[in-house]
Amino acid sequence: MSSKVTNRIALSVIILCAAVMAGILVSLLSYILFKGVTNISWQFLTTSASPFLAGGGIKDQLWNSFYVLIITMILTIPIGVSGGIYLAEYAKPGRLTSFIRTCVEVLASLPSIVVGMFGMLIFVNYFGFRFSVISGALALTVFNLPVIVRVTEDGFRALSLHQKEGGLALGLTHWHTIKTILLPAAFPSILTGIILSAGRVFGESAALLFTAGLSTPDLNFSNWNPISPNSPLNLFRSAETLSVHIWAVNTGGIMPDVSRIANGSAAVLVVCVLLFNLFARALGKMINQKFSGK
Amino acid sequence: MIQMEKNIVSFNNTVDVEEMPVQISVENVNIYYGENHAVKDVNLPIHEKSITALIGPSGCGKSTFIRTINRMNDLIPGARCEGSLLYKDVNILNPKVDVVQLRKEIGMVFQQPNPFPKSISENIQLPLRFAGVRNKKTLNQVTEDCLKQVGLWDEVKDRLDRSALGLSGGQQQRLCIARALALKPDVILLDEPTSALDPVSSAKIEELLLELKNSYTIVIVTHNMQQAARIADYTAFFYQGELIEFGKTKTLFTNPEKKSTADYISGRFG
Amino acid sequence: MKISKIATADPASRLDNNAKLINEKGLLWRLTDRASETRGKMFIYSSALLMIVAVIAITLFLMIQGLRAFVVDHLNFWTFITGTQWYPDRTVNPSYGAFPFIFGSMAVTFLAALIATPIAIGTAIFMAELAKKWGTKVMQPVIEILVGIPSVVYGLIGLSIIVPFMRQHFGGSGFNLLAGAIVVGIMILPTVASIAADSIRAVPDSLRQASYAIGATKWQTIWRVVIPAAGSSLVTAIVLGMSRAFGEALAVQMVIGNVTKLPGSIFDPSATLTTIITLSMGHSTMGSVLNDALWSLGFLLLLISYVFIVIIRFLSRRRNA
Repeated sequence: MSSKVTNRIALSVIILCAAVMAGILVSLLSYILFKGVTNISWQFLTTSASPFLAGGGIKDQLWNSFYVLIITMILTIPIGVSGGIYLAEYAKPGRLTSFIRTCVEVLASLPSIVVGMFGMLIFVNYFGFRFSVISGALALTVFNLPVIVRVTEDGFRALSLHQKEGGLALGLTHWHTIKTILLPAAFPSILTGIILSAGRVFGESAALLFTAGLSTPDLNFSNWNPISPNSPLNLFRSAETLSVHIWAVNTGGIMPDVSRIANGSAAVLVVCVLLFNLFARALGKMINQKFSGK
Repeated sequence: MIQMEKNIVSFNNTVDVEEMPVQISVENVNIYYGENHAVKDVNLPIHEKSITALIGPSGCGKSTFIRTINRMNDLIPGARCEGSLLYKDVNILNPKVDVVQLRKEIGMVFQQPNPFPKSISENIQLPLRFAGVRNKKTLNQVTEDCLKQVGLWDEVKDRLDRSALGLSGGQQQRLCIARALALKPDVILLDEPTSALDPVSSAKIEELLLELKNSYTIVIVTHNMQQAARIADYTAFFYQGELIEFGKTKTLFTNPEKKSTADYISGRFG
Repeated sequence: MKISKIATADPASRLDNNAKLINEKGLLWRLTDRASETRGKMFIYSSALLMIVAVIAITLFLMIQGLRAFVVDHLNFWTFITGTQWYPDRTVNPSYGAFPFIFGSMAVTFLAALIATPIAIGTAIFMAELAKKWGTKVMQPVIEILVGIPSVVYGLIGLSIIVPFMRQHFGGSGFNLLAGAIVVGIMILPTVASIAADSIRAVPDSLRQASYAIGATKWQTIWRVVIPAAGSSLVTAIVLGMSRAFGEALAVQMVIGNVTKLPGSIFDPSATLTTIITLSMGHSTMGSVLNDALWSLGFLLLLISYVFIVIIRFLSRRRNA
């Protein structure tokens, strides 16, 4: 076979691979969206789930997902950004630094169910938080921390050394140079990364199974006292999130409209993740433009 | 380059005024990057309220040397300095020196203009705020003074709250100089401040430096010999990490003692 | 240029002319003064230490809990690992043989890699070599978005498309090992493709030009120059995908059938380490033998993830060398 013919065939195979990939991805997205979007209605989003009867909605689950996400971010961002700053600015090459790097890598590649089991052991049982919003958020913090650390470190490394020199040469301490010059300059890329990671946290399920639980108490959306047991803001109540809900109705749901609820929830989940993505990209672009002074 | 004869060079007319006292006295300074001996046994005086130019081919150690004067080399892992840089009876190289305070007194401007991605006024006020100045009126006054000193006030007074990154390269560099002036330092170090700029902007900066030397001690690294000849009172010629020759600019350019100095300034190498 | 003649303040009026150049400030000053960086630094350093604490805590606690089955309940480690009988509910002589799950996890991981690798690498070559513009402008962002699609959604797709398809064409319930592998395979496709594309892009253009200069075709250049040059990073991409496939729980659980027997073929329902934990953890009481055995499986999962991490480290170190 001449090399020209081989070339033809091989390139065609590659194009075929790409086409298969594109086909899978496009059909996947369109399946979820077309199948699910018809099930999304205002009523679906604002009704509580019903354990036996048809017509249940996802109000509580949707709220729980966002609430767990917000608490996770409040816990993760300060620690993760500081960790990233440590690696980018303070870490001196040596054993300790490479050990910390290894730890970040390990945290990033742990299966999420292992993180969930750890959360169950420590937060649920040992600290006695039970299945609750706070247990779930703490487990997701373990899961999300390495992402924020990396995003921050990359954001800092992408800055030019000139900025840092400029600050130090003006008699600013290293810390104040970081706080007032480098962090604001790296902010757009860090923020973009944080929002992308929010999409990941929002869809996470295995880590929440054993930490936030599979049920939600009857929430009273007019009661915003965070100590009251049926308040949506209560941190120590169990909270089934949207993605856990999809899994739960499919494996053990006995309501007659399981597939309607599952497809609708999946579509809501995917739409939210897509929105996080688009928002992150748009925001990154916008801030970049503002900073370049045009 | 060969035709570049001495008559092209016009000298700074202040060369012959009486000699100013020494502000920083450099004695036996050696700088190493790991194994690399970058600056070898340098001795020279830096005179108060004068311009001292460091010239030499690239890689000769002049930038390394100027960055040592306010300890910016601390940033580079593996950099090590020996000897003494005496300033206010303190050896700058002493590890106990408060580098933050040192850098407030010895400011620096870099080759690449590096305004912060903030507004023009914030760029100047940032070091002041950090030094504890809270009074709005003072901050605005200092901003205005500094911008006027660098001749930027009229160009930017209507857009002080716009991003500094929107300025032209020459304007950015003058803003960086204004920023360094805000803390009223004793010494200003400039590391090739005009090499990234066009000739018109460079000329403005040179003029500015001649003005500023009435109040500040200025040390400038330049690869442009005419620039050194035009503005410097003293010139030091570095070659391969060694200080070959130091003297009044006019003497060094018209009557160099060493052959390599003569070769360099007549354009035979470098 | 006209320089405004304003009086330049003399250095004596400097803001803090009393400050000393030699730093003699004590610890108390450093902790209380806002100009000091000590407090900021302390927060930064403790955050970095927290990473270490987290990893050590996870490893230690899972180990302590995971060893209970052998230390407290006196299960035999060897029969636990190799036994094929998982009957924890038998009142007489319950047996804990975890081999079917270990096998299931391995099978799903390798089959998923087998499914995903050719398509992902082909796509990566397409994006990075054949259609660069289209690849970076359209495919890369779409693939990056797909990396973020939650795994339960992949499980749901498997449940509503792949399982019925299996039932129709291969009989049985449709829930089987292959369905699990396909779901995870599709799930890791975007991850593997995007990392592989990055590593192909990192191959310097000079190599390609050298190859074209000696008359090689596009395919010969890709096969003999680009792929070998990207070599170990491509393998890293696949191993990363495998480690994700190995750790995935819910998506697999939804389609694999959850039968605790060793499967006879890829069309038999089976179970994996993650699926048995997912299913049984909620139904067992803390401290029971079954519960301890599940924690041992969790610890095993952790250990195997460490193996993946070591392999990935080894591969990337070889690349940097």
